Amino acid sequence: MDNALALEMAGIRKNFGSFRALDDASLDVRWGEVHAILGENGAGKSSLMNVAAGLYSPDGGLLRINGQACDLTGPRDAMARSVGMIHQHFKLVKRFSAVQNVLLANPRGSYRQGLAEIGREINKHAKALGFDLDLHRPVGLLSVAEQQRVEIIKTLVAGARILILDEPTAVLTDEEGAKLLRTISDLAQRGAAIVLVTHKLRDVQTFADRVTVMRGGRTIATLNRGTSSDELATLAVGTKIVAPQRGDGKPGVERLIVRDLHDESSDQSRLRQVTFTVRSGEIYGIAGVGGNGQTELADILSGSRAPSSGHVEAVLPGGARVDLSSGNPRRRIDFGFAAVPADRQGQAIASSVSIVDNYAIAHVHTGRFGPWWRFKRAAAREATSVALRDADVQGVRSASQRVGLLSGGNAQKLVMAREFSRAPKIIIVHSPSRGLDVRACAAIHRRLLNAREEGVAVVLISEDLDEILSLSDRIGVMTAGRIVAEFDASGDRQAIGRAMVGHV
Amino acid sequence: MNDFLVTWIASIPALALPYALASVGLIVSERAGVLSLGAEGLMLVGALAGVGAYLTTDGSAFVAIVASMVAAGLVSVLFAVLVVWLRVNQVIAGLALVFFCQGLTNLVGTLADWSNRAIPGIAELNFGFLSDLPVVGPILFRHDVLIYLLVPVCFSVHYFLSSTTYGLKLKAVGENPDAADAAGINVSRVRFWAVVAGALLVGSAGGYLSVVSAKIWVAGMTSGRGWIAVALVIFARWKPVQALAGAILFGAVEALIPQLNAAGVKLPQYYLLMTPYVATFVVMIWQAFRERSDADGPASLGQPYIREERT
Amino acid sequence: MPVWARALVSLAAVMFGLAVSAIILALAGVAPSSLVTEFGSTLADPESLKAVLSQSVPLILVGIAASVAFRARFWNLGLEGQMIMGGIAAAAISIHQVGAESIRIELMALAAMFAGIAWIALPMALKYLLRINEIIATLLLNYIAQYALYDLLFGAWKDPTDSFPHSGPFSAAERLPVIGDWLQSGLLVALLVVAATFWLLQISRAGFYLRFIYANATMAHRMGVPTGRIVAIAVLASGAIAGLAGFVIPSGIEGRLTQGYFEGYGFSGVLIAFLAQNNPLSASVVAILVAILFVVGQSLQIFYQIPFSMVQLIQAIIVMCVAGADFFVRHRLILQR
Repeated sequence: MDNALALEMAGIRKNFGSFRALDDASLDVRWGEVHAILGENGAGKSSLMNVAAGLYSPDGGLLRINGQACDLTGPRDAMARSVGMIHQHFKLVKRFSAVQNVLLANPRGSYRQGLAEIGREINKHAKALGFDLDLHRPVGLLSVAEQQRVEIIKTLVAGARILILDEPTAVLTDEEGAKLLRTISDLAQRGAAIVLVTHKLRDVQTFADRVTVMRGGRTIATLNRGTSSDELATLAVGTKIVAPQRGDGKPGVERLIVRDLHDESSDQSRLRQVTFTVRSGEIYGIAGVGGNGQTELADILSGSRAPSSGHVEAVLPGGARVDLSSGNPRRRIDFGFAAVPADRQGQAIASSVSIVDNYAIAHVHTGRFGPWWRFKRAAAREATSVALRDADVQGVRSASQRVGLLSGGNAQKLVMAREFSRAPKIIIVHSPSRGLDVRACAAIHRRLLNAREEGVAVVLISEDLDEILSLSDRIGVMTAGRIVAEFDASGDRQAIGRAMVGHV
Repeated sequence: MNDFLVTWIASIPALALPYALASVGLIVSERAGVLSLGAEGLMLVGALAGVGAYLTTDGSAFVAIVASMVAAGLVSVLFAVLVVWLRVNQVIAGLALVFFCQGLTNLVGTLADWSNRAIPGIAELNFGFLSDLPVVGPILFRHDVLIYLLVPVCFSVHYFLSSTTYGLKLKAVGENPDAADAAGINVSRVRFWAVVAGALLVGSAGGYLSVVSAKIWVAGMTSGRGWIAVALVIFARWKPVQALAGAILFGAVEALIPQLNAAGVKLPQYYLLMTPYVATFVVMIWQAFRERSDADGPASLGQPYIREERT
Repeated sequence: MPVWARALVSLAAVMFGLAVSAIILALAGVAPSSLVTEFGSTLADPESLKAVLSQSVPLILVGIAASVAFRARFWNLGLEGQMIMGGIAAAAISIHQVGAESIRIELMALAAMFAGIAWIALPMALKYLLRINEIIATLLLNYIAQYALYDLLFGAWKDPTDSFPHSGPFSAAERLPVIGDWLQSGLLVALLVVAATFWLLQISRAGFYLRFIYANATMAHRMGVPTGRIVAIAVLASGAIAGLAGFVIPSGIEGRLTQGYFEGYGFSGVLIAFLAQNNPLSASVVAILVAILFVVGQSLQIFYQIPFSMVQLIQAIIVMCVAGADFFVRHRLILQR
């Protein structure tokens, strides 16, 4: 193999307006190695790799591919130099088949010729890697793991020898993720240079030859295989963050009863006879890999959709039961429901509207901020200021600014403040700390544990098993639209993991 | 009855052609993700340019049709600059384009004195004894050359979209410009040319309307056909051959009116003129029941594409 | 970019658009100097000013009608159709002498609003029940309304005295009076609508909800906002106001139902809403500016034989310039390089 480094980046800088995404970032990758880039969300890992793949042009610094300094003009240029990137959000045209997608990136002669030739090449690579790929189905109908394989083969057909994978295991089950990483190691053994962008310590320790830790847009350290997870974690995070401890719970009466929920509306994930109960003062965690019905369940529980059949019942203080199976958000709210959806931008906030309005909307209908013929903004502003202070929301120059200007963590704090200001009895929380840095994450967890102390029944749906394990009193595992197993707080991680992949 | 049917069916192709060409032109641009609401305006431009060229070149219908295509193509550049380069909202830009074209064609038509001047149009082809056959003769063998070109044109566009590499790229741009960009395709350039190419077809539809069908230019003569074509594209699920079928349907509806009048059926004149618009409603409603109507559209239709970087 | 800079950019765009229009007019035979004198005389001459005020009334109304609908993300391109139906309904009240003379004009106005509501209700239902695009639906209804009007004007309602395709003249009780020497009472109607719309959008709870629906309808629904009801209020209000515009022209300006009173208002309404960014107060101001353009356009037609569609062309050019200039507001990074 060549003695030159496959990829070398030094002193890379990149700004987006006033936001500094990369500030003196560097990286070197050898041929035949699996090199991991570890860091929290927002550390700059993806940005740095986008520079290497020709999608961003750096404001400063040096990029060398196979020993040659270069100033990439675009993704095509990078591809020509054997750099291929597999993004977190696949760049696939869902309506096209695998062959068409690969052909799109690798044009060959006439259309018919191209299809045939590409088909042959795909099969060649697939066999070498031990994949089984349906070439002619629209990729939108393939599973996520299969789509990822198409992405990988796309780069291999283009002749990539430096492969960059951005958070590849984020959307896979533990088992699929392991399989993928074994394949990648295989490719490295045969001489390719692999860059693995991830925030998962376990993947780093099992598969990486070396790891570069990034934080705040710069490179902190590069370490060899065998470094302890503690050391890696501290480097990635900067300081030790103490995770809030879950004390012993005092669960009370049943608050939320879900029986035989059935939902046919989505092709990918149907809900089948979902049944569970949650008591007041308890956190019921629903674990599982994304795409197994969690979003549908969250939507139905929060009332934005009605199930095809089944019951959702709330038990009011005093014992009365209310059937809330129809999809009516207003009724849920009236009976003490609150919800924090996973898709914050799309469902929890209106980015172009002010912070005040985004908070006030939870209470406007009660008349607290004026009668129907007049909305009293001053009163709303006051209430919002108090709430912002209590929730420690940072980055607010003025409460009248657009909520879209808040960072993810602060926006989430605002959403939670709003939902809790309703004094709910039941709250549905879906992936609350996704995309948040460790500090914000800890704040969110603290809030949830407080709610638990106050007697709220919490349904926590999350793909982050660590989050589930640290917060939940009871855990339900969701696979293929069904709760396949339930565990209590002492549930063994392995057993849970098995349940997550066991029933398909 | 027989006579009525024959004359009716024989008059359908000429009325269907403008709808067909306009729809196919729209399909080309919409498959690339650009919603082209300006079709009504581009048809007007094509119609005026056609008559104008005919009058200034002393009667060459060929030049007239080419002129209608070129004129519409040029005006569409304005639209393409607005929506592809300047990322203007495609609905606003489309509406503005229609009114721009309406104003412009009225102005030029009046000032250049091209309005209300009858022209002879194009001769119908003569296939000898075939044209004289009963029933089949008038229906199939007595049309002008452009009508005979219509079917090949529709099929060519279909072939282009489904079986060529460039067609694949164009569709990719319309479905997922992010993926197309990552594959190294210049999204802006593809969209730009899709708009202009589509405009050539839409302009020719207008040119046919004025030069061959009506044989005259009158302000506003397209009377909403451009809007109907937009609805037709949805009805045809963005497929050129289906658009042709839809155009024939509309041609049939439009052809019915004068035939009924000629047959002596007494119907309120203005309510009859409403039929194409009512038919469009019927088609849209039927389409909505058939399927979730926009489910088949190119996924990025109507959304400007902005890649964060690379400037 | 700060607000004042954005306003400056828009203003520059409008100026650019006017300059382009001036060039086109020059090519059509109107020297720029003549243009300036035309504008000047319009603003100086009291008769012209009265015409401008008179012309502002329907323009303010359609501008607001468009704004209200756009605030609900409903592309109401059927303003002309709603105006036609409004005019027809009002004329029907007059022709059939419905109600006592003392309240007839109020009845006409009410009928016009109801007709506008009815005409927009169909595309609204089609959009929200069947997901049918309202752009085409509202546009198609314009053509259908137009033919319905012709059917009446060339038929049952044709003026028997001169056989022209317009209705007989309205009686004095059916016309909007002119107060003093210059104040069109129609203007008071328009101002009332402006105030009502301002209240609806900026002060009332419905307006608060509407802002959320516009920004993120999914979120609004999840928060328990009665989205269907609020959107319906906005859209139907839009139809009503457009219908009212269809009443003020026959009743206030022309004195009878004519063939083409609605022409050009559809796009002008959209243009005004666009330039005013759907704000009712700004819309009134922009409407007055467009009214000046209309009056100048009429002079150009009379004195220079420039077809009135030039006004349409100028409006389209201005919209394109302002819309295009927005790019430079959003992407100022490019300019800084």
